Amino acid sequence: MSTVRERPKPLLLPQFCKGCGRCIESCAKHCITVGTEINPATGLVPVHLDLEQCNGCGLCISACPEPYGLRAEPGKDFVLEDPKALFGPRDKAREAARSIPDERLPLPLVEPLVVKGTYAAAIGALIAGCRHFYGYPITPSTEGAELMAKLLPKLQGVFMQAVSETAAVNMMYGCGGAGLRATTFTSSPGFSLMLEGISYMIGAELPAVFLNVMRGGPGLGNIAPEQSDIKLACRGLGHGNTHAVVLAPSTPQEMLDLTILAFDIAFRYRNPVVILGDGYLGQMTGTVRLPDFVVKPGLPDWAVWGDKGHRENLNCSIFLSESDLEAHNTHLNAKYAAMTAAEQRADLFETDDADVLLVACNTPGRMAKGAVRDLRARGIKAGLFRPMTLWPFPIDALKPMLERVRRIVVVEASNGQLEDEMRLAISHAGVHAPPVINSVRRFGGILPQQREIVERVLGFEGKEAAA
Amino acid sequence: MNVFYDKFERHDHGEGLKGQATHYCAGCGHGLAHKYLAEAIEELGVQDRTVAVSPVGCSVFLYYYFNVGNTQAAHGRAPAVAIGQKTANPDSIVISYQGDGDLASIGLAEIVSTAQMGIPISVVFVNNAIYGMTGGQLAPTTLMGQKTSTTPEGRNEFFGTPIRMAELIAGLDGPVYVERVALYDAKQRVRAKKAITKALKLQVENKGFAFVEVLAECPTHLGMNPSDAEKWVKEKMTAVFPLGIKKDVENPPDHAKPGTPEFNPAHLMEVFEGTTEKAPRFCNEFPSGWATDDIALKFAGAGGDGAQTAALLVARAGINEGYDATHIPSYGPESRGGTSYADVHIARTEVLSPASPSPHILVAFNAPSLARFGPTVVPGGTIVYDSSVIVDVPALAKGVKAIGVPMTRIASELGRLVVKNVVALGALQAATSLFPEETVLTAIRQALKSKCAMIPLNEEAFARGSQAVRNHES
Repeated sequence: MSTVRERPKPLLLPQFCKGCGRCIESCAKHCITVGTEINPATGLVPVHLDLEQCNGCGLCISACPEPYGLRAEPGKDFVLEDPKALFGPRDKAREAARSIPDERLPLPLVEPLVVKGTYAAAIGALIAGCRHFYGYPITPSTEGAELMAKLLPKLQGVFMQAVSETAAVNMMYGCGGAGLRATTFTSSPGFSLMLEGISYMIGAELPAVFLNVMRGGPGLGNIAPEQSDIKLACRGLGHGNTHAVVLAPSTPQEMLDLTILAFDIAFRYRNPVVILGDGYLGQMTGTVRLPDFVVKPGLPDWAVWGDKGHRENLNCSIFLSESDLEAHNTHLNAKYAAMTAAEQRADLFETDDADVLLVACNTPGRMAKGAVRDLRARGIKAGLFRPMTLWPFPIDALKPMLERVRRIVVVEASNGQLEDEMRLAISHAGVHAPPVINSVRRFGGILPQQREIVERVLGFEGKEAAA
Repeated sequence: MNVFYDKFERHDHGEGLKGQATHYCAGCGHGLAHKYLAEAIEELGVQDRTVAVSPVGCSVFLYYYFNVGNTQAAHGRAPAVAIGQKTANPDSIVISYQGDGDLASIGLAEIVSTAQMGIPISVVFVNNAIYGMTGGQLAPTTLMGQKTSTTPEGRNEFFGTPIRMAELIAGLDGPVYVERVALYDAKQRVRAKKAITKALKLQVENKGFAFVEVLAECPTHLGMNPSDAEKWVKEKMTAVFPLGIKKDVENPPDHAKPGTPEFNPAHLMEVFEGTTEKAPRFCNEFPSGWATDDIALKFAGAGGDGAQTAALLVARAGINEGYDATHIPSYGPESRGGTSYADVHIARTEVLSPASPSPHILVAFNAPSLARFGPTVVPGGTIVYDSSVIVDVPALAKGVKAIGVPMTRIASELGRLVVKNVVALGALQAATSLFPEETVLTAIRQALKSKCAMIPLNEEAFARGSQAVRNHES
C-alpha cells in the first residue's frame, strides 16, 4: 500500500461543490456518494467523500468541473477554510507593462504627391503608423483599399480582406484591442454593417479609424457621392450611448491630414474615429503635401497583447451590475465631454464681415467656397463656415457669428443631415433665435454645384440670378 | 492551477463564494472544457502568451476565470476578433472559445472563413444542443424531436436538421486538426483533455488552425439531472455527432507568419513613390488668357480612349508648375467601357470648385461627347476633337473655336492606338499653348518613368498632334 499512499487523495471544500456528481461515477472504489445535506452557504447539496478505499487515482479530480472543487490534497500545511492558502502560491512576479510611447521619426522633405483622395487617406494611415488593414471591397472606397493591399506587404504590414464588413470591424476590435493601429475603408452600406462592432469598440474603449466614402442611399442606392451617413456617424454608431469624433475632409490634402489626426484622436481617447468622405472626394486627384514626420507607434499599457506584462488586461463591453454600467457610462460621457471641448474644428473663409454664411462640408464645402467668391463679386457679403468635425459640431466657432450674420445657408448633398447637426448644436448652445436658415440640398449622387449655390443664395436674397 | 485566477474578481467583484466558484450550473460541460483548457495552457507553458476570446453565450464570462490576456467578442465574431489579435501579435497564442449558437448559427461566416484561411488559432467549440444563456431555445445543433422553448413540440423538418460542425470544418482546406470529443465518462474526458492540448500545441508550433468540438451537457435546459444528461449525450448526441478525429494533417508545414512591421521613413517614402526631386518649371506666369485664377477643362470620350490619363497629365503639368490642380473622373457602374469623362481645374492658388460644368477647354474623343459637352464650353473657349470619328459639330457658344484633329488616324499610323490621347495632348498644346510644350512633355515622361521605352513613341504622337493643328490653322 506504500505506493498508493504517495498519490494524493482528493480534497473537497463543500461550499465549492455544486453536487453535479460527475465524480461519483468516475470513482472505481465507490468512495463518493450523492450528498444528503444542504450546504448552508450555497443552498446546494455537495457530494459526500469517504476516502477509506481511495487509491489516489485522481479520476474524480479530473471529472470535477469546478476550478476550486475537487483538488489533490496539498499536504500538511494548509488551512482548510482559506482557499487562497489552500491552493498554493501564485505567480505574483508579474509586473504590469508600462506604455511604450509613440515616436515621430523625421521624414525627408518630399515633393507634393499627386494622388486621389482615397490614396491620400491610405498614405496618411501609413504615415500615422497604421500597418493593419481589415476590410471588404465596396465602391467607391475600394481603390484606397487596393493601394493598402499593394503597399502594406512592403512594410511587413497586414492587409486582410474579411468575409464581410461585420468580420472586418471585429478584426479591428482584435487588433485595436492588442493596442495597434487598425483601419478600414468602406462606403455607406458597408459602414451600416460595421456599426454593431463600433458600438462594442466604444464600449470596450478600443481605438480604430474608419474611413467611410459615403455614397447614395438608402439601401443599395447608387455609387455616386452623397453625404448620406452624417446622421449615422454623429447620432447612430450602433446601439447604446455611443459617440466618436467624426472628421469631414474636403480635399485630398485633408484626406491625408485628417487621417493622421484621426489615429492621434483615436488613441488619445481610446475610442474609434470616423472619417466621412464623399465619392467625389475619394476619386479626386490633387496635390498632397506630406508632413515632416512618420509615426512609429508604441504599445499602450492597456493592450491585450498576449505577454506577461499585459496579461491581466481585458477588453470587454460587459458591465453586468447596473451600478457598474452606470459608472462606465459616466466615464464615457466624461470622454465625450472632453472631445467636445477639445476636438472641434472648422475652416472659416471670408466670415469676418459676412452677412450670409454658407455652411457646408466635404466636396460641397469646396463648391460653396467657390460660390462665396462669386457672391462677393456680385456684391453679397458671403462667407463659408466649413465644419471639419461634424461631431463634435464646431459650435464654439459658429456661436459668435450667429449674432452678426443675417442668413445661414446650409449646402449639402443630403436631406438636411448636416443642418440637423448644426441646429442641435445651436440649440444646445442656448441660442434660441438664430438667423434665418435656408438650405440647398441635392441627393442621389448629385452635388450642389457652385453655380446652383450662387443662384439659390441670390434667390434667398431676393435678387435676380442673371449676371 | 496558476492559469485560473486565485480569486475571480470579475465575478461579481469576487464577493463571497463567487470569488472561487464558476457561474455554471451543476453538471454543465463548460467547467470541464475550461479546466482542460487551463491545464493545457499550463502544461504547454504559454500562459504569458495566451489571449482568450470569450464569446456570447453561457461561456461569455470565460474572462472571469482565465488569468491570461482576455478579450470579449460580439455574438459569433470571436474568430474575427481572434484574427485581429493574432495578426497584431503573431507570437501570441489565441484561443476562440465558442458555444453552438455563437459558432454554428450567428457566427457561421466567421468560423468557416477563418478555418478556410487556416490561420493558426485554436477553437474550442462547446456543443450542448441548446441555447443556454437565453433560456433553452433551439440551437443549430438541437436534435430532431428535441423540445426547446422555441420548438415546444420538438424540432421538426421545418427547422432543418442539426448541423455537424466538426465534419463541416474538417471538409475545409485550412484546418490541420479537427476532432469531436465528449465529457460523459472518464475515458471521454481523457480524450477531451488530450484533444484540447493538441489543438493548442499545434498553434504553439505555428502549424495552423485547430478545432475541437466538445459535446457537453446542459442538464438545466434538458430538464435532466446531471447523470441523465451525461447519458443523453452518450446515447442521443453521439448518434448524430459521431466522436473522433475528423481531420489530422500529418506533418503540416509551418504557417507563414507576418513579419515585424516596418517604420523606416526612407523606406516608407520609397514605398509611396515620394521624391525629393523638384519637377522642372518652364512657365513664367499663370496662363490667365483663359481665366484670371482658375481654368476649367473637360476631357470626354468612351472608356479606353484615354481621356482620364490625358486629364491627369494636364493636372500633373499644372502642379509641376506650382499651381493647384484637380482631376475628377466620372465613374459609371461599368468598370470598363461606357462613357468616360474627366473634369480638370488648374488654379493660380486654390481650386475652389473642382467640377467643370462650363469648361474653358474641351477635348472630345467621340461624337456623343462633343454633342453633349460642346455646347457647355464658355464663349471664347476652345474645343479639340477627333475628326477621324466626329463629322458633325453641334452649335457652339459665341467665339468658341473647334479644331478637328484626326487623332485615331494618326495613332493608327503610329501603330499604337493607345497613344491617341497623347496625340490629343499635342493638339491641345498647339491649339491653346496653355503651358509651355516642355511642361506637358515633362509630365508625360514622368508618367512613363517605369516604361522608358514608350517615351519616343509618345513624344512622336505629341508632335504629330501639334503638327496637325498647325496644318489645320495654316
